Amino acid sequence: MKLPLISNERFVQIAAPIAVGLLFLVAWEVTVVAMEMPRYLLPGPSAIFQSLVNDWNTLFRGLLMTLKVTLMAFGIALVLGVAASLLFVQSKWIEVSLFPYAVLMQVTPIVAIAPLIIIWVDDTTWALTICAVIIAIFPIISNTTLGLRSVDPNLLSMFRMYRSSRWQELTRLRIPSALPYFFGGLRISSGLALIGAVVAEFVAGTGGARAGLAYLILQSGYNLQIPRMFAALALITLTGIALFALMVWLSDLALRNWHESALRVEH
Amino acid sequence: MAFAAVCGNDRFSLNQPTAYSGPGTVSGDRTVTQPPATPLKQVHPARPSPDAAVTDGRTETMGSRPVVQVSGVDKVYANGTVALQGADLTVKQGEFVSLLGPSGCGKSTLLRIIAGMGEATRGTVKWWEQDYKVVGDKGRKLAFVFQNATLMPWARVRKNVRLPLDLEGTAKRPESQQKIDEALEMVGLQGFETAFPRELSGGMQMRASIARAMVTEPNLLLMDEPFGALDEMTRNKLNDDVLRLWQAKDWTVVFVTHSVYEAVYLSNRVVVMAARPGRIVEDVAIDQPYPRSSDFRVSTEFAGYCRRVSQALERASQMGEEVAS
Repeated sequence: MKLPLISNERFVQIAAPIAVGLLFLVAWEVTVVAMEMPRYLLPGPSAIFQSLVNDWNTLFRGLLMTLKVTLMAFGIALVLGVAASLLFVQSKWIEVSLFPYAVLMQVTPIVAIAPLIIIWVDDTTWALTICAVIIAIFPIISNTTLGLRSVDPNLLSMFRMYRSSRWQELTRLRIPSALPYFFGGLRISSGLALIGAVVAEFVAGTGGARAGLAYLILQSGYNLQIPRMFAALALITLTGIALFALMVWLSDLALRNWHESALRVEH
Repeated sequence: MAFAAVCGNDRFSLNQPTAYSGPGTVSGDRTVTQPPATPLKQVHPARPSPDAAVTDGRTETMGSRPVVQVSGVDKVYANGTVALQGADLTVKQGEFVSLLGPSGCGKSTLLRIIAGMGEATRGTVKWWEQDYKVVGDKGRKLAFVFQNATLMPWARVRKNVRLPLDLEGTAKRPESQQKIDEALEMVGLQGFETAFPRELSGGMQMRASIARAMVTEPNLLLMDEPFGALDEMTRNKLNDDVLRLWQAKDWTVVFVTHSVYEAVYLSNRVVVMAARPGRIVEDVAIDQPYPRSSDFRVSTEFAGYCRRVSQALERASQMGEEVAS
């Protein structure tokens, strides 16, 4: 007998990872109960879920704060990154002179420069945002620049044969060609913006009304409220997954008609 | 079937003979093979010329005026490879000239130089007896068809075909819509305007590419092994289509190929090239009437021309080996 749902590829794609996740959680819970693990060492999933419900107000405020920094940083990285790429493709000279500095920014550990930025910038939210931008911008710059250069040379020759302007070349040829690369950059960058926001907050250690999820993790650690720590961690992970899924969806929306990466293969 | 309209178009009389003045300039080291017995007369449609209006009703006949003059052109790449050496070629109004040769003989390089896509290292190229920069101002238009369809994958067929008009800034004019419709109809792609290139077969993509080249109503059409990647049936069909369009429109065609049969079937003249260094070695006139059909493909004349061209190619490759050794 053949189960109809098993042969449905889409169903399997969603159900299989969920099944693995549930199995993992069950095994976790069983292990914790069986070994009588104390909560301050390793809480079980049920305890974490309970903390998520009980501390929802605090956690939700933290989530909003982290999300705000992440999204602001991502937006700024997107605008500045694309602007930098457009500048880079204008001339080889500009790219050669400036690209090493983009790399420099990428390889500098953010934890090392975050304290400086926090000292220089009064407003903590902005300080955190700047740190996250520094981390998130590089994939956008490097991917978009690569994309803007990855133009079919024959199409470019043809554009020039028809005496296209630089503007036409950019809008009708370079930007559409760059889209798949650009969206690839966005996927990486969205995750990095979140990591940047969290790491910067760890360094800054801002508490009070402006506490984000990272501060909640720190604080819960000090107080041995380990279930709350896990709950905050779970929220960060879920945010990252949601951002990634959003980027995949956007990319699919923009490319599904023509690009190989977004095509559904029919068997 | 879309081409039936072109053929049956009573604007063009297909049976009116016109004098043909034969192949262009002959340089010293190049032999020109003329068909021995047949007179240099050719059945060819008299076609309305863009000059007719400009030159007070004087109708221009084929072969009367050079469209492209390549003289003494060398192309040396930065790494020292000599892609082309001493190329001389004159293509006249209304001719269908094929550049034939093995890989590396510089035929595509020569075509790109003719298209203005690459600069010659030495020598001169003239378009309508003028410099490339002034050609555009006189309403003379070039079009190029690549080996691959080279369509924009993100744009639908209609937008791809419209591209040259967009770049010219004339796409918004009312007559442009008509031009696009006509081009699509000529290549038999009506009904596929909203398809994306990836949804089309290889042959249909090539048709879209040809429609794009046609849409500006070019005077000079340059084709770089356009059907090399297609199966033989599709290739034969597209060959016939191109011949019909060439007869119906005011085209001068330079066609790059490595197929002897394709070159002989299509052309007035087959220019045979050799490799290492790339150069022109022979210029064979194919003195057979148009329209040509599948009957021509199996005729003794066709076989004769193919043999002659093949022998020229063989001689060319032997010369290449002598140079290499």
